[in-house]
Amino acid sequence: MMMIVCSLIYALSVSVSANLFALVAASLLPLYLLVKRPEILKPLIKLNALNLVMIITLALTWPNLCEGFIAGIIIALRFNMIYIIFSSLVFSEGEAKIYDSLVSLHVPEKLRILFLLTFRGINVMHERLDAALVSLRLRAPELGLVMRFKTFAYVTASVLLQSSSRSDRMTRAIICRGGFDGFSQTESGSLNLHDVVVLAGFVSYSLAIIILNHA
Amino acid sequence: MHISEGVLSGSILITGWAGTCAGLAVGLKKTDMNKITRTALLSSGFFLASLVNIKVGPSSTHLSFLAPMGLILGWGVFPAMFVALLLQALLFHFGGLLVLGANNFIMGVSSLSVYLLFGKLIRNSDSKILVMALAFISGALSIILAAFLAGVFLTLSDSNFLTAAKLVVIAHLPLALIEGLVTAFMIGWLKKSAPEFLL
Repeated sequence: MMMIVCSLIYALSVSVSANLFALVAASLLPLYLLVKRPEILKPLIKLNALNLVMIITLALTWPNLCEGFIAGIIIALRFNMIYIIFSSLVFSEGEAKIYDSLVSLHVPEKLRILFLLTFRGINVMHERLDAALVSLRLRAPELGLVMRFKTFAYVTASVLLQSSSRSDRMTRAIICRGGFDGFSQTESGSLNLHDVVVLAGFVSYSLAIIILNHA
Repeated sequence: MHISEGVLSGSILITGWAGTCAGLAVGLKKTDMNKITRTALLSSGFFLASLVNIKVGPSSTHLSFLAPMGLILGWGVFPAMFVALLLQALLFHFGGLLVLGANNFIMGVSSLSVYLLFGKLIRNSDSKILVMALAFISGALSIILAAFLAGVFLTLSDSNFLTAAKLVVIAHLPLALIEGLVTAFMIGWLKKSAPEFLL
């Protein structure tokens, strides 16, 4: 609840005006989460070291020293807020359990599988495309403009075809192993209280920004 | 091509998400489970296209593959782009999470339009020149359409963005030519080497 209240007040400070009360209320959120999740303390200290440089630079370069200092504080608080919310949402479960989180969020099955396969396919395709482009550059560094596009198109299409045949084999293997029903071996879990609070806070924060910005 | 976070008005954001949800629902329904790995592959390709820079004179650009995606995936382009754009937003901050619906709608509609307009013609044509000409038009049109839709979204959000919207369309004209060329060569090659790849 505290997070939701802080998020709403923070959203007000973004949209209406930055006053001292809103700043204090918004700064309660990082304190609250630091107690709950001490592991994010270290990266947060690094972030705020950079924030300190930014605040000093802003204060010195702003026409009015005090206004520049306050502007810097506001930006630093926003950085903290964004970092904490996103680190809570994206990294709280770890990459291996993203599928589990997507199940909990009732994301359609096809979209879940598509997400995971895309995530996996990026590295495979990146390696192949990179290798093909490097060899192309080494063999023919002085190509004309049209010829360069033509070669790039052929290389990309051939990488796509090779990867496609590999992905078709993978699909057959998945089907032979029992289909996509057994795609993930991760245990199905449920949202804990912290997840619900963070999620509710993020949704409230987003809605508040939309409503207050465009009301 | 990505519209940044915080630029569009609330009503346009909601419209974008509504269009994206509709496109996602149809796209997921029409995507066969056995073809999902291919959809994921194209989604990865779309994601990677933004990372591969091509030198053009003193500057460089990156492709988007809107037309090839549409011509290969058909309606499946909506879920494929949704996943790719989501990963781009999360990993590289291209676009954003709130504006994801609008970005997906803009690119999905552009890509789907060229599939509906030229997909059947390209699939049924035996003339290499005609296939390449149609693919060129598809590639160029998809970029112009996406830039135009982005401009419309910007202008509807705030009339002060009208100049910026015009600039977006004009700035994408050279990219449309490049994308047209690459699409022509790519689809021409695929039509010859693996015609079953084109939907």
